[in-house]
Amino acid sequence: MKAVKVKGLDPATSLRANATRIVQTRLEEMLSFAAAASAPGAGAAQHDMRIAAKRLRYLLEITEDCFGPEARRARRAARELQSVLGDIHDCDVMAPLVAEQISNHAGEDAGTGLELVAAHIEGRRARLFVQFRELWQEQGAARVWAELRRVLRA
Amino acid sequence: MARREIEDLECDQPFALAAARVIEVRAEELFEQSPGVLDLDRIERVHDMRVAVRRLQAAIEVFRECLPRKRRRAALKQLRALADALGERRDPDVSIEALEGLAAEIGRSEDRSIAALVERFQEEKEAANERLARVVSEVRLQRLRGDLGELAGAAREFGAGGRRHS
Repeated sequence: MKAVKVKGLDPATSLRANATRIVQTRLEEMLSFAAAASAPGAGAAQHDMRIAAKRLRYLLEITEDCFGPEARRARRAARELQSVLGDIHDCDVMAPLVAEQISNHAGEDAGTGLELVAAHIEGRRARLFVQFRELWQEQGAARVWAELRRVLRA
Repeated sequence: MARREIEDLECDQPFALAAARVIEVRAEELFEQSPGVLDLDRIERVHDMRVAVRRLQAAIEVFRECLPRKRRRAALKQLRALADALGERRDPDVSIEALEGLAAEIGRSEDRSIAALVERFQEEKEAANERLARVVSEVRLQRLRGDLGELAGAAREFGAGGRRHS
């Protein structure tokens, strides 16, 4: 996923002034994927949201001292999102590989173990999606992203 | 991988000077992870080096306005090749770990079809390690180190009032 270009940056002005613009852009970018990613089977949107959360996290690792505790909390929250969405992505990568191997063993008893693995991956993905949605709701209730927005506008 | 705190980073300092400092620190983190990265049994080393590359790529993107375009693009091209090679080497590790974990969970650790898939991932891992070896050769890492040093130097010069080189 290509990152949105940040406008109005000026190398001669302060880290804080430029970081404010970049964090605002990366935050809105991540939030823009949330609605689509909240559908259970939306693997592509969940992947995009993971990449956006990772960009925001790495950015805050550099710049959080300019914005205070709200930014530190947001950085930790972005990491949590990245982690659960990463686990979902791992399931999405693994499932077709297992399916391919099952088809290679079609008609053999030897494929039974992989069929169980496939069912397990499906169940794990479903549980991870529930975790993701709960995490997203918790972060919303705790106003993690709203507070980051507020300090960026201050 | 624990990231290093960036000392001497002031929120009120010019963006370009901050760029120089951040790129230097993130580059150091990357090169610290390179020894042992080809050891097939040290799977965390590959992961850590990959994370360090991602952090450095992110830093260069954050500070892109402070960096000379040609040097920035040249550095990013090398980092992309490194990230891709590390990713290809890392992915089979993740798959093997997941598959073996799942097999144990469902009580099928001896299953032949699962073992065959693990073996396929092992072969992919070894092939990916050979490709990674070319990307992390001493010569290529030295070149990358030099290019990143020049990139940070250009940002520092620009932040100190010099002009930005193309």
